[in-house]
Amino acid sequence: MAEHKVTFNHQAEPVVVKSGTLITEAARLAGIEINQPCGGQGRCGRCVVQVIDGKVRQRSALRLSAEDISLGYCLACQSIIEGDISVIVPEQEKIERRLVTDRTAVEVEPPLGYSPEYHQSLKRYFLSFAEPNYEDQTDDLSRLQKQLRVELGFKDVEIPLSLVRKIGSALREGNWQVTVYLNVNGSNESEPHVCMVDVLPFHCESDSPMWGAAIDIGTTTVTLWLVDLWTGVVHAQVSEYNAQIRRGEDVISRIIYADKEGGLQELQQLVVGTINQLIELACKRVKHYPVQPEDILKLTVAGNTTMMHLFLGIPPSYIRLAPFIPTFNQAPFLRAREIGLSANPHAIVDCLPGVASYVGADITAGVLSAGLDDTQKLTLFLDVGTNGEMVLGSKEWLVTCACSAGPAFEGAGVRDGMRATSGAIEEVWIHSETYEPSYRVIGGGKPRGICGSGLISLLAEMFMTGVIDKAGNLNTQLSTSRIREGEHGMEYVVAWGEETQHGKDIVITRVDIDNLLRAKAAIYAGFLVLAQSVGVPLEETEQVLIGGSFGKYLNIEKSIQIGLLPDLPWEKFNFLGNTAVKGAYFALLSQENRERIREIASKMTYIELSADNTFYEAFMSAMFLPHTDMSRFPSVLGAFQTANKLSVQT
Amino acid sequence: MPVEVPKEKWPGSVRTITLGALPAEGGTRKRVVTVGGETAMPFMHFEGEIPYPPVVAIEIKDRKPDDWSPLLLETWRDVIDDPAQWAAAAEEAGADLIVLALSLTNRDGNPTTPEEAVASVKAVLAATGVPLIVFGPGQAEADNALLVAVSEATKGERLALGICEDKNYRTIVATAMANGHLVTARTPMDVNLAKQLNILISDMGLPLDRILMDPTTGALGYGIEYGFSVMERLRLAALQGDKMTQLPMIVTPGFEAWKAKESKVGEGVPKAWGDWLNRAINWETLTAMTLVESGADIVVLRHPESVRRVKAAIDELMAAKAFVS
Repeated sequence: MAEHKVTFNHQAEPVVVKSGTLITEAARLAGIEINQPCGGQGRCGRCVVQVIDGKVRQRSALRLSAEDISLGYCLACQSIIEGDISVIVPEQEKIERRLVTDRTAVEVEPPLGYSPEYHQSLKRYFLSFAEPNYEDQTDDLSRLQKQLRVELGFKDVEIPLSLVRKIGSALREGNWQVTVYLNVNGSNESEPHVCMVDVLPFHCESDSPMWGAAIDIGTTTVTLWLVDLWTGVVHAQVSEYNAQIRRGEDVISRIIYADKEGGLQELQQLVVGTINQLIELACKRVKHYPVQPEDILKLTVAGNTTMMHLFLGIPPSYIRLAPFIPTFNQAPFLRAREIGLSANPHAIVDCLPGVASYVGADITAGVLSAGLDDTQKLTLFLDVGTNGEMVLGSKEWLVTCACSAGPAFEGAGVRDGMRATSGAIEEVWIHSETYEPSYRVIGGGKPRGICGSGLISLLAEMFMTGVIDKAGNLNTQLSTSRIREGEHGMEYVVAWGEETQHGKDIVITRVDIDNLLRAKAAIYAGFLVLAQSVGVPLEETEQVLIGGSFGKYLNIEKSIQIGLLPDLPWEKFNFLGNTAVKGAYFALLSQENRERIREIASKMTYIELSADNTFYEAFMSAMFLPHTDMSRFPSVLGAFQTANKLSVQT
Repeated sequence: MPVEVPKEKWPGSVRTITLGALPAEGGTRKRVVTVGGETAMPFMHFEGEIPYPPVVAIEIKDRKPDDWSPLLLETWRDVIDDPAQWAAAAEEAGADLIVLALSLTNRDGNPTTPEEAVASVKAVLAATGVPLIVFGPGQAEADNALLVAVSEATKGERLALGICEDKNYRTIVATAMANGHLVTARTPMDVNLAKQLNILISDMGLPLDRILMDPTTGALGYGIEYGFSVMERLRLAALQGDKMTQLPMIVTPGFEAWKAKESKVGEGVPKAWGDWLNRAINWETLTAMTLVESGADIVVLRHPESVRRVKAAIDELMAAKAFVS
């Protein structure tokens, strides 16, 4: 049989192998270690090498793009040597970077062509007055109102009492020159609603910043962007856990808590406290400008309907009760003082509109920032958090629904689950013959638990390697000590005590697996029901946009393997990060965008999943790996069969 | 004027499954039973083929049961202490199949041993010529231990072993696979769950033509509508071409009907309910016939009179075939 020379990393001495040898085998002969966490099945992509000279026959190129292949990248465990070749084995770190390219973070840039004069509702005017004297006995307020009328054409400017109190001193301190901030709500051009936000002595620099904030109140995390409304530049992005967490992890338990004596006030104060902390933190983060919380003149707020109720101190009780009607979807214009925000007391607080009890302003804002209302492509937008909200549609129509996925993907409700912070296992690979896992820990140290992405990864691996069957049952017939009877039924040991931070085993139990199955089934069933409601096959979706803080860390391949995401080509998925705060930011900057969100809210058709049994049917069929109807997941079926056939052969 | 009868044409069909093996096939049965093969909804002879009539199995126990209705105990009084005699009597009563349900404990109250289970099964096989279905006691550990022993001791007989459930199927499927038997797969009245369990079992490598599915049902007045609807939808899915639902269905109306108050209780009930025995038999018969109409291929009954009535009704429904031109 023919023999071939294989050169690794430009080494002087090639190794000689028989035709048909795998690159991994040749590497072993050359004394080069190539990691194969999946056991050489061509599934994990960790053994990527680059063939720079010569050709190999590739059995499988799973995880490699066409571009990778054209550059000579191949999976060492799947590439058969049929001639002399020269191979570069990249360092492990580089491979990992290749593997995580499906996590796209989006940088924020001000919208193209942003002009504060044209787009911004918050206006700044410099007014100069003739000093009053014995002849001109006009009072300060009338003097100001006259200027506004004559110079700016605003007839009825709403000036709150507390600002009237400031006028006298501002005029005199500024030597009859003041800077006035007005919010001009121009939805009705002929008769705009104008209200005064602040009056300050002197004329400030004409291009000095005007501060605003975009806020997303999430059930778990609150995010705030501090923005210069003059330039549109985001100067600080901060986020913090919603302090309400200690009063309940999900919206339902918060609603229940709000019904208790004093509960609503407490929850309102907790979230306002969180926002005030964030305001302070953001102000400190701004470079080059001294910013104080009082300098913030406008805040645009997104958040789910329950969070919005709690933020405004409005009882959310009816959200929880059939037929699930919230007190409001569109809040009135408010001032910061009314809710206790530490911004300028007169700052405008603009709460974005929601659609229904479980599809809130975070989604309408998300739809705007994802551009869903402006695309020809049939788009599925989803925001995965404690609740999974999703929108399907395009420029022509939008349908939406919300399903309770539970907190499993956020690491809660799972025995060794945790948030995606240092010490969390974020990716797992299981060897298909020994059933031994290898994992990656955030921060690189010893593991403490498993975060959402780690759980998805783990579930997919257990399924693909046969550690669990398609119903999630652990296979007790495998010869591994990692599958054992635990305190709460069967479990799989991901990390033994000696490997972990706390010295205890990290396991996933049958109960955990059921929770994860339910969570993924709820989300996929939501997709199906949405698609069915408009008679569109889910496979025809042209792009999938994923928002929510969780989305950033979602591994598409694994998510498809477990049947969480529909089986579409990977390039159709796009991660947008926190779309809610981004939508709030767009609305903060531009009246047009604000108006668009209003239109989105009124245009979306909301489907209440509890109204009939369609969702239940879809849910039950999704309670399987990847799905009872395997024809919906052709790529997974293929990979699963390949994986199992290979392990039978070896 | 000729009237055009609208006909549904189905792309799929139910699999044909044979229970029991003749001596030439490696078994000891005098006759085998074939079920399935439908290409139309139940008894819609004008739309497709109903090649094999639904069959009736009689359920017997390996010892005198503790929780059966006194009416049943009375009926089988002479044979109830001996599974072989009981099985022979059941065959005599017209059973196409015997279902032997193993007890968790033996006559002395000790756990039934694998040896005892094997002895009962062998005795039943020796006393009868019809195919046999063996159910474990319904507790995972005991089921696995007893059924593995039975399976190995009866290699080649093409028994149906049950009951596989989604939490406990691997051992039973593995032993059925190794010894040439069939399995019954039970799921709690849900189309998706039924399909899922079939997938799990076939994933282990057991061919689909060795799986009977038991979608579970309720007795008349105790949720039978729901069971009927699930079976009907399973059959519709099968005829539409869904491979994982194209399995013949086995249901246990005897077990369900004899749990119902109407059959169980003879005293302290309204007089209008009429004669107890007659009522109980009616209950079992009506439950069974409803399920036959919804697509059941095997109904497992307990009372010989119900068996007679159900078989007569099936004969009539099958006879309608002759009128289809």
